[in-house]
Amino acid sequence: MEEVLVVGQVVGGKFGDIIIRQKSGTNLEIGDLMVSEENGSYLILQVFALEYGSQIQDRMQQMMSGVNLEQGVADAQFYEPEFVNYVLARIKPLARVYRESDDVKIPKSLPSFFNKLRLISRDDLRFLQKEKDQIFVGHIRSGSKVIREAEVWLPAQDVFSHHVLIPATTGRGKSNLVKTILWHVLDTNKVGALILDAHDEYFGRTAPGLKDHPNARNNLVYYTPTDPPAGASRLTINLQSIRPDHFEGIVDFSDAQFQAIRTAFSRHRRDWITELMLTDLTMVEMDGDSRRQGEFAASTLMVVQRKLRLALSLERDEDRRVVSRHKVFDSTSRGLTTADDIARDIEQGKVVVLDTSKLGDEAELLVGNIIATRLLENYKNAKSTGELDRKPVATIVIEEAPRVIGEDVLTSKNDNIYATIAKEGRKFKVGLTAITQLSSVIPKTILANMNTKIILGNEMRQEREAIIASASQDLSEDDKNIASLDKGEAIITSIFVPFAMPIKVPLFEDVVKSKRGGTARDGKTKVF
Amino acid sequence: MRFAHLSDIHLGFQKQEALQRIEREVFERALDECISRKVDFVLVPGDVFHVNIPEMRVQKFAFAKFRMLHEAGIPAYAVYGSHDFSPVSNSVIDLLAEVGYITKVTRATSNEDGTISLGFLTDAKTGVKIAGLSGLKVGKDREWYEKLDRQPLESEPGFKIFLFHGGVSDMKTGQDRGDMEQMPLSLLPKGFAYYAGGHMHRFNHREFAGYPHVVYPGTPFAGYHSDLEENARGQKRGFVLVDFGDAVESVEFVPIENAQYEIIEIDANNRKAGSVNRELQERARGMDPAQRIVIVKIQGELTSGKTSEVETSGIREELAGSGALAVNVSKNQLTSKEYSITEARGENKDEVETNVFRENIGQLRFSQKKLLGDEGVGLAKKLLHELGQGQLANEKKNEYVPRVRDSALALLGVDKDDS
Repeated sequence: MEEVLVVGQVVGGKFGDIIIRQKSGTNLEIGDLMVSEENGSYLILQVFALEYGSQIQDRMQQMMSGVNLEQGVADAQFYEPEFVNYVLARIKPLARVYRESDDVKIPKSLPSFFNKLRLISRDDLRFLQKEKDQIFVGHIRSGSKVIREAEVWLPAQDVFSHHVLIPATTGRGKSNLVKTILWHVLDTNKVGALILDAHDEYFGRTAPGLKDHPNARNNLVYYTPTDPPAGASRLTINLQSIRPDHFEGIVDFSDAQFQAIRTAFSRHRRDWITELMLTDLTMVEMDGDSRRQGEFAASTLMVVQRKLRLALSLERDEDRRVVSRHKVFDSTSRGLTTADDIARDIEQGKVVVLDTSKLGDEAELLVGNIIATRLLENYKNAKSTGELDRKPVATIVIEEAPRVIGEDVLTSKNDNIYATIAKEGRKFKVGLTAITQLSSVIPKTILANMNTKIILGNEMRQEREAIIASASQDLSEDDKNIASLDKGEAIITSIFVPFAMPIKVPLFEDVVKSKRGGTARDGKTKVF
Repeated sequence: MRFAHLSDIHLGFQKQEALQRIEREVFERALDECISRKVDFVLVPGDVFHVNIPEMRVQKFAFAKFRMLHEAGIPAYAVYGSHDFSPVSNSVIDLLAEVGYITKVTRATSNEDGTISLGFLTDAKTGVKIAGLSGLKVGKDREWYEKLDRQPLESEPGFKIFLFHGGVSDMKTGQDRGDMEQMPLSLLPKGFAYYAGGHMHRFNHREFAGYPHVVYPGTPFAGYHSDLEENARGQKRGFVLVDFGDAVESVEFVPIENAQYEIIEIDANNRKAGSVNRELQERARGMDPAQRIVIVKIQGELTSGKTSEVETSGIREELAGSGALAVNVSKNQLTSKEYSITEARGENKDEVETNVFRENIGQLRFSQKKLLGDEGVGLAKKLLHELGQGQLANEKKNEYVPRVRDSALALLGVDKDDS
């Protein structure tokens, strides 16, 4: 009975590149997980390459093919073909699991020579059992086979404070993965999250989304600039909330332009943008050479006005009020507390989704910057007063991460808040969840700091190399494996998992369906 | 056509006689103004009274004035506020409704599927349709809004007004009370001509897509101590008059003067109690408090000593002696580096108490070991329990106080005479 499960036998190789012969009738796949039983423990191994093996020389095989193809011999066969021709799989050890304690260690020895291997089963993955405050990311996958009973849960607080990178090209299931992760973040108040949702897809205005979570009422906050659905908040940020440093690393101002901005800030304080936008440049022009120290050329101010206008979509109405076309920025008394409100929600362990779909790139990053700055300041203060332990971990989810942590952005004069968080946020329990198609343009120092990577399929070799080089486990043989990841298939490499785990992320719609059962509203509500 | 919108009058809040007089005068002037300006009706979205059953003195003048309004043929439409709310219709609001001086607006039906349907009442004279929901403490009314069957409300034709009592985050001004629960405006049904709000104590009028006029008139005098502080800083108080036809034509804030103020604000940061006391005395002597409400606000963190060493009772007497109408002293934002309470969390009340004591007991310097460490935490919890005992039914105050005091002293192992 036991023999039926055997899929191969160790026949050679070396540590990290063990060769097994595939048992005839089985069909090993790249990524398949298998088990080698040892004394008191078992090794989990993974297939990373497949090739043919044969007891007959190549030239003889080629001649046999000639007989088949050219002489029309229809049923020419090898004698006992399952002995003669076979598949060799190259496998690498991932983990050694000790039976008694369920301890998982990095393997340091080879499986016994000639040992027979079997495919992994759910009983071999008992050590993955969920513990408190973990987030679900998917099921263990062996090749293309999903082991439904083996769920992968990550320790939420550790993972998010140590930054998460989700590298993938378009169409490989990034949004589905992020939604699935956030769905489980909503289960508790242990993790606060800020999501800059450039496609307005996470809340689920018109499709299943985070709004369908049973805890959404208490733990989910949705801000959108126009026509908020019932219960959602209007995304309005007062221009008074913006400081010059919020533009650093986001809008490209020259030294002189930044100087003009800082001067406006020191002169007009919180009204600096409004005052700058309302400055009549023809009057500045007329003053000509009579400029006093600290005043700037009309041309400089003109460029600053133009850049602010473009970045924030600002206009001046007939009453000389500064308004923004998408209504996100306000110069009256609205939105004065939005950044504080959002920061407070995150500090209470809520998931805050900002619909930034109507904002330009710079405005989106700026909004995130204002809130992230406030959040980091609050967490730093909490650390100095000894209250950090009581705060939930906070993560900022940002798409197209190289916009803020790309090499070209970070080599400029000033870091932006996202880069600061990537470098030092961990100390203050604030992390980044960075989603990108281009890992290669993120500096190695930052990539190395992202201690959990959930790798989805990527056909670009350069990107795969960048990911493999910065992975927490050795993925040097997984290049083809990553290239062949199908939609929803992923590999988790993290300092918080015992080995690089192949997973299948469930379809978000199925996750929602499975939870919906118990949420129906029933019974009368008392109203007075 | 015209209506008036008043809210958060908080009758019965004031404890000092002079302030009680102002509270009453402001209320009466507001309703007089409504009558003289010939409004068609008055909206009162909550907190007419500071508690659901205020003292008889307050009820008498309130009834007299609402009767006057009634006799002038002006209906008053109201919802409960978070202060005068009663789940069993046991509020003086219900008495006023019973005698016909006001009309309660909430016409709610709870449906089997958990949703709430809300009906309209129609003002006989103007044909205006009015719907509304009461306000509950700590924002529990949010659930009602979430379950509201919005479609019939939104599709109802005509000039519609929605009365509500609750904070709306879209209306925040940046100077709002930090402890105020708020809900997003999007929870209110769309498409009403006017949203008559109560609960936020400053006048505020804003327009949003789908919500053409969202208005809080604010309190006409004061419903919190901080309102008096704001008055002293120049905050205008009053009510709102709205002219309308097919739509709202104008929203006018009508200010009502209430009193003259003086304010003494002292920054105690990085100072000692002695220095704060000296400044307090100097500033009190440098002003003429006659016929004014004097606000004394001391805030910041003392470098050493206890906050109780900042002496205010003498100043209070001195100012009162010089003819001040009232003296309000606020020290609740005064802390000391030596004694400051760090907050702590827990899964339940017991855990919160334990954690707060644990966090803070290390600051104490006592020679008695039983007051410190885990033993001290245990003692503090027992003491808190004893001091938190409520008055028993039929127990008189002169029995209750000694009972609690003696239990607490027994717990500490000291006699009354030890002091």
